[in-house]
Amino acid sequence: MIAAKNTSWLSRVPASWKFGSLLVISIALYLISSWPVLLVLLAASIAILATARVRLSQLRGPLTALSIILAIVFIALGLQTSWLNAAVSVTRLFTLCLLAYSVSLTTSFNAMLDLFQRVASPLRHLGANPAQIALALSMAIRFIPELRRVYSEVREAQHARGLGNNPLAVSVPLVIRALRIADETAEALDARGYDSSSVHGK
Amino acid sequence: MTATTVRPSQTKNTVYIAIFAALIAAMGLVPPITLGIVPVPITLQTLGVMLAGAVLGPWRGAMASLVVVVLSLAGLPLLAGGRGGLGVLFGPTGGYLLGWVLGSLVIGALFKYWVIRIESKPAQIAAGLVATILGGVIVIYACGVPWTAMTTGLELKTSLVGSFAFLPGDLLKAVVATLVALTVHRSYRGLLK
Repeated sequence: MIAAKNTSWLSRVPASWKFGSLLVISIALYLISSWPVLLVLLAASIAILATARVRLSQLRGPLTALSIILAIVFIALGLQTSWLNAAVSVTRLFTLCLLAYSVSLTTSFNAMLDLFQRVASPLRHLGANPAQIALALSMAIRFIPELRRVYSEVREAQHARGLGNNPLAVSVPLVIRALRIADETAEALDARGYDSSSVHGK
Repeated sequence: MTATTVRPSQTKNTVYIAIFAALIAAMGLVPPITLGIVPVPITLQTLGVMLAGAVLGPWRGAMASLVVVVLSLAGLPLLAGGRGGLGVLFGPTGGYLLGWVLGSLVIGALFKYWVIRIESKPAQIAAGLVATILGGVIVIYACGVPWTAMTTGLELKTSLVGSFAFLPGDLLKAVVATLVALTVHRSYRGLLK
């Protein structure tokens, strides 16, 4: 769920503000159990999402998944306590998720990652290295398609041996090849003089 | 083959963390399998979480899980079913994500200081199972179940019973993770040094 060239007013609000408000609102929401107030907040969150200029196709998947979970919660909670209580709880969660979607869909992936790195920067004093964190995040993204390819290759090879559905026969070579890719990449980085202690690395 | 006796460099640690994060993410992209007996789709993602701890040890394993959590919160659709974004954290299942990080930490610690040092093979497999079930099932549920109860207002007991639908799949994954990790350690020595 990423902002795809979003141009709404929300996309111009700094990511830190959006994330901070979301955090504060989420705590506040759990303290509110007044039915009318929650309905007003739900309406407000729908309004915010509506002005976020989000394409409906981006919302269909997450909304379907959310509705299924909320339906289960509603029934379980209604049977266990009261239906009013169930409605309050489901409204609260729905409001919160709509607001979270509004933030996610109007914030670019890089802005979000920047924010997380800034939040994590005090970890420096505990010995963590921001350059290493950035390297790990960007490399993980880079490795995903490669591992997908390795997975299909291994599966095909084991299928040919009649072992395609044996989880061990697929997982062991997958993990070994992943480790080997990591070794080669680390060697290549070291050979090219990537200075892992530098903050300006990469 | 690659019997590294020297302590791995920081770059190497970072690359290991990244590749296991990618492994966890890639396993979320594998279509869910439905076991005949349970009507719940089983994804391989927690298998990746267990493997990260069991293969890489506590610190790097937990970091690999954390990288996946951070990337998906930032918006990448890496979680099973293509979910991602801040809604995941604020929703009813957010606690399980926190559980991943703690779970791989616990599995990693148990593997590094206990399982890998056992000589007898059957005892090692039994110990590995204890480690993966403790970290990969009990710790993850212990984070996820109260979170669901808290965010929805459901009773803790109901929330726990609901999570039992995933138990058979998770136990199966613990078995696979143990056997895979021990096989990998035999052919790829020195990973937990």
